[in-house]
Amino acid sequence: MKNKATTFFNVFLVIVFVFAFALPAYAGKTYKLGMSLAITGPTSDAGNPYAKGAEDWFKFVNETDYLGDGDKIDCPIRDDQYKNDVTKRFFEEFLDDGILIFLSYATGGNLALKRDFEEVQIPVIPASYHEGLIVDANYTFMPVATYSENAVGLAEYITENHKGDNIPQVAFFIHPSAFGRGPLEDTQKAIAEGMKIEIVEVVEHGTDLDNTAMLQRLVSKGVQYVICQTVQTPVATMLTDAQRLGVTAATFGETGKLTFLGAHYTGGSDLIALAGTATEGYIWADSYNLTSENNEGAKKQLELAERYGRDEKAANSHNYGAGILAAQIATEAIKMAKDAGMEVNRENLYKMMQKMNFNSFVAAGPVTYSETERIGVDVQNIYIAQDGIFKKIQSFESQYIQKVRAGR
Amino acid sequence: MSYFFQIIVSGIVVGSIYALAALGLVLVYKSSRVANFAHGQIIAGGAFITFFLTVRLGIPIFFSFLASMLITFFLAMSVERIFLRRLIGEPIISVIMVTIGLASIFDGLIYLTPFGSENFSFPTFLPTESIVVGGVSISWTQLVGVIITFVLIGGFSWFFKKSTVGISMRAVSDDQFGAMSVGISVPRVFGLAWATAGLSAAAAGCIIGNITGLNFETLHAFGIVVFPVVILGGLDSILGAVVAGIIMGLIQQFASGYLDGNFGLNGTGDVMPYIILLIILLFKPHGLFGIHEIERV
Repeated sequence: MKNKATTFFNVFLVIVFVFAFALPAYAGKTYKLGMSLAITGPTSDAGNPYAKGAEDWFKFVNETDYLGDGDKIDCPIRDDQYKNDVTKRFFEEFLDDGILIFLSYATGGNLALKRDFEEVQIPVIPASYHEGLIVDANYTFMPVATYSENAVGLAEYITENHKGDNIPQVAFFIHPSAFGRGPLEDTQKAIAEGMKIEIVEVVEHGTDLDNTAMLQRLVSKGVQYVICQTVQTPVATMLTDAQRLGVTAATFGETGKLTFLGAHYTGGSDLIALAGTATEGYIWADSYNLTSENNEGAKKQLELAERYGRDEKAANSHNYGAGILAAQIATEAIKMAKDAGMEVNRENLYKMMQKMNFNSFVAAGPVTYSETERIGVDVQNIYIAQDGIFKKIQSFESQYIQKVRAGR
Repeated sequence: MSYFFQIIVSGIVVGSIYALAALGLVLVYKSSRVANFAHGQIIAGGAFITFFLTVRLGIPIFFSFLASMLITFFLAMSVERIFLRRLIGEPIISVIMVTIGLASIFDGLIYLTPFGSENFSFPTFLPTESIVVGGVSISWTQLVGVIITFVLIGGFSWFFKKSTVGISMRAVSDDQFGAMSVGISVPRVFGLAWATAGLSAAAAGCIIGNITGLNFETLHAFGIVVFPVVILGGLDSILGAVVAGIIMGLIQQFASGYLDGNFGLNGTGDVMPYIILLIILLFKPHGLFGIHEIERV
């Protein structure tokens, strides 16, 4: 009787052990990624919805078995508060954890870690679209058109739509950093290549409460267009002042008035939240599909946000879409490696990313990379602020940027 | 010529808002000799409280504005009571370090709310058209901001000169032991100083927020931006804050209007106030209206 009981217990133990070891194998593999960005601190108005977008996409992937075989993605999202030293620490911790792809954030942090990315040969998907991140770098995969493409593209848009015989007179309103200056330098190179605009003045802004002097100076110098490359808050103050002074152009390029245009981080629903009606007529270049377009992509973005209980503000933010896209690129790379029957490691993911070509519901065009191409979405949408939302005017790809792009 | 006058008007507008934002720093320093590094966070807090009361609770903005000043009044008083009162008599540097710590704590608390990382703007409650006189324009937002600034500064000046409590605060500022010997409660004065600083910070936050929009990083930066104003005016002088604020505003606007974009210069509007500050401090190291204390041993 005792032997029978022992035998039964032993069989039971074997069954337990078999299940204990077999279940995780059946449950699939977990691929580790890492994300560091400013959920709080400077620029967190962009970083916060960006983090939510990435988090929601990875949740969706895991819940719907998007990768197949029960495989999952584990992507811890850490708040670096826009501090480069903290980003570096997180990156090193992620490396110790064996991450396959690093989802990074700011221009400064990425520039500081650029050599590290190349040394450890890890694919990186940044939230900064600074052109310098892909110069002499192989492992950084820019999700969408760079700020330089935005600025040069807007300058091209001006030349194509400017009415009058004169050369369009342009001022740049930029952030006092590499983030602001890089696109200006590329526009100057485009001018040297023959683009027909004249940069009359460059304004590096501070913490301004009143831009009256600056705006009146620009008008007196005959400036017609102001291209902005900064974040929303200073643009909002400038637009409000321009509205008050009555110098905002009612129509594109109106003589004696200023037409305002800007790159990715200057526009969107946040700008309208800050500047209200002063935003009307603002022209914005961006590679994301906005929810105000009310198309299939917009519906999918809103569905994802609703599924995970996001508020209206986050759901409609183009930064939420940007976070989704970064997460989608990482996901597609893993899926491609799996589908090709390859081991999912950094080396193979790097190879897969160079062959990537897929359509995302948040992007203005297809996401494509190659052995030489490091920008996913080359298409930009030109939006105009009308009746409190941004409406698409057209899609385009910058031609001059191909002539002036450095290092590739 | 209207360009010149426009710059003067803009300078006065910007300067008076600087003065109001600086007022809280002066009030705390005047009574306790402490530079409050959490002032920017209180400015932002006041603006967000007004926004919350107006937009989320539907209270008319004028009452929200008054209520937020009242709330920050008591909040700042509580902060003094909980964190700073027990440091009376301790080295000033300890108290300053506590204010730096408080700034971090306030940052963390605000980051826990949507206000830490989202952008908002007050609902429009003033006419959007500008007032234009002789080619010089000023928005209603700016005009109302300047009026509120001068009303508050006038009120504080009267308070310090005429009211018993105000005179007590000045007495504590001049000589703590002397004030105690005539029966003035120094801790109570410190609490009041923080409370009034909180009140003025909330007013400044609302005015700045109405101009720039409500972004936490932008708003709390003004706590630091106005330090040169306070230093130029003299750390313990309300009149100094007003005069220095307007000087700073005018320098900024004139530099931006006449130097930027000419002679290959750029960004002088941000740099020039500091250059002028350094020059003035060479000749008046205690600021324009600061008290030059002479210790006889």
